[in-house]
Amino acid sequence: MSYKVLEENNIATVYLDGEIDMDVTDKAKEVIIPLIEAGKEVHINLKDVQYMDSSGISVLIESHQKGQEMNTRVVLKEISKSVLKVIMMAKLEQILIIE
Amino acid sequence: MINFSEHKDFEVNSGNLKNVRTFARGLFEKSEYLQNYQEELVLALAEAAQNIVKHAYNGKASNDTMRIKISYTEGLLEIELFDKGKPVVPENIKPRNLDDIKAGGLGTFFIGQIMDEVIFKTSKVDWVNHLILKKQF
Repeated sequence: MSYKVLEENNIATVYLDGEIDMDVTDKAKEVIIPLIEAGKEVHINLKDVQYMDSSGISVLIESHQKGQEMNTRVVLKEISKSVLKVIMMAKLEQILIIE
Repeated sequence: MINFSEHKDFEVNSGNLKNVRTFARGLFEKSEYLQNYQEELVLALAEAAQNIVKHAYNGKASNDTMRIKISYTEGLLEIELFDKGKPVVPENIKPRNLDDIKAGGLGTFFIGQIMDEVIFKTSKVDWVNHLILKKQF
């Protein structure tokens, strides 16, 4: 997994890339959670994520919950087909913010 | 119809999960039927392999190996995982309650959604845990 972060005004967009599994979830959380804790609206762009398992889904859930705790939005953007399939299998499409 | 049975051993660590997926994809591509379900099948296998690292070895890297065996015979896919970690207590394995928004148990839930049958065994002489995932095509 690789990533880049672009910040504009109070919105931070995290572009994740590659395959997200247990091996890289700590890295993903280290990037995303501090942005939420800083009170930014965080957009997680998933267009270049080819594979995500339950560990990756846990990052999305924890980010969403941290966003609620900090009263800021965590939005999933441009979700790839394979990741959307896993989100839907977990029945999270009505819970996570998807735009 | 193409039939095959292959296995490969991997050291137990989270960095090897990617190699497990690569091994599986290479085999699933051999069959047109399996190819159509490749993403889901790889997810089911990877979740089971992840459970070995996470639960049988408490998330710690080990020099032990886990064995992945994938067999496809007359439309029946069998994915077998062998490990020498902490013995699995099948009664303790519960898929996530979907109303409870947390990640724990999600992998087990995915496996159940994708595969037809999940069988735990502990009787193998050379291994401690033996998990069999089956799906009929």
